[in-house]
Amino acid sequence: MFCLSELEDTVRVSPDLLNLPLEDAIKLVLQNLFLDKVLSIGLCVSIYDIRSVEGGSVLPGDVAAITYKVCFRIVVFRPFVGEVIAAKFKESDSNGLRCDLTLGFFEDIYVPAPFIPRPNRCEPDPYNRNQMRWVWIYKGVEYIIDDSCQINFRVENISYPHVPFERAEDAKPFAPMVVTGTLDDDGLGLVSWWEGSSEINLEEDDDNT
Amino acid sequence: MKNIIVKANAGALTNFEVLDLLNSRGASKDTTRANDKVSGSEYKVYDYLMETAASTQTRETVTKFFDKCKDFKLAKAEILNVINLRPTSDVELTPIIEKPDEREIDIDGILALVQELLPPLPSLEAPKENEQEETEDGEQEETDDAEKEETEDAEQS
Repeated sequence: MFCLSELEDTVRVSPDLLNLPLEDAIKLVLQNLFLDKVLSIGLCVSIYDIRSVEGGSVLPGDVAAITYKVCFRIVVFRPFVGEVIAAKFKESDSNGLRCDLTLGFFEDIYVPAPFIPRPNRCEPDPYNRNQMRWVWIYKGVEYIIDDSCQINFRVENISYPHVPFERAEDAKPFAPMVVTGTLDDDGLGLVSWWEGSSEINLEEDDDNT
Repeated sequence: MKNIIVKANAGALTNFEVLDLLNSRGASKDTTRANDKVSGSEYKVYDYLMETAASTQTRETVTKFFDKCKDFKLAKAEILNVINLRPTSDVELTPIIEKPDEREIDIDGILALVQELLPPLPSLEAPKENEQEETEDGEQEETDDAEKEETEDAEQS
């Protein structure tokens, strides 16, 4: 779900950082600029390394900093379509589910209703008045989708919506990067759904051999 | 500030490689988090990765696994998925591998290789009757409990 990206940028190092070795100072500036920000290539997680530094000039009119042209690599969180990721359930409503990658390093993962395994039904959550609960019905057994254990989902799509000009008062906070996932396949969904099945498969194989 | 993306994809990284990078910077399970070389958001990623299979892998095992996978005719993305998820049963491999029968992929062979080369997810000394029943979630909960016990013991002594 991570990959390296190589970027080139002009970096301004302010005088208060000049007591540090140059590489550390540049790294600090880069971290402030990129860490936890969503670029067109994904969510920037970490600065990997600095490949080259050029320049070191003071631009006219900008005497409060030294400008360098830096070529560097960053670690980006960008899952690819078809990747299976482990996440935790966050909330659900009538449109679908929302999961997040543990401890919130990325929370904008949505599983819209068409990607929830069928047949299913949606009912008001008895434990939480504002939410709807999704239940998968398979061979007569009901499997509730909740936060009891980890959920494996497969990435269907990643989108980067534009910053909206105007928003309704109670709209969800703007998400610059949205991952759409599916639970509709063998092995996906709550991990507890598939725990017993591996035993059954083994028994069947033993019987056949 | 204009930035130029020289190469959007300079190489995919397994979860292990990202964890290794954060570890080399000094990230640890230490709850004080006083290390200023690793930022708060990097720690969030670190915490997530420590609960996955990546936390028990080593560079050696991952490289070895990658080489041996070439014999199984898997696509690079599929190998990446397997290393990150460490599936223990063929039902867990189903969403990862496309059309295994048409491509004549040896599912059991891959599972055996996973068992052999990739260490199991973080777990305790608590005896498990059947290794195949191990799930990530069960082990996560146990690790959390164990850590709580360890800190309680440390405070008492």
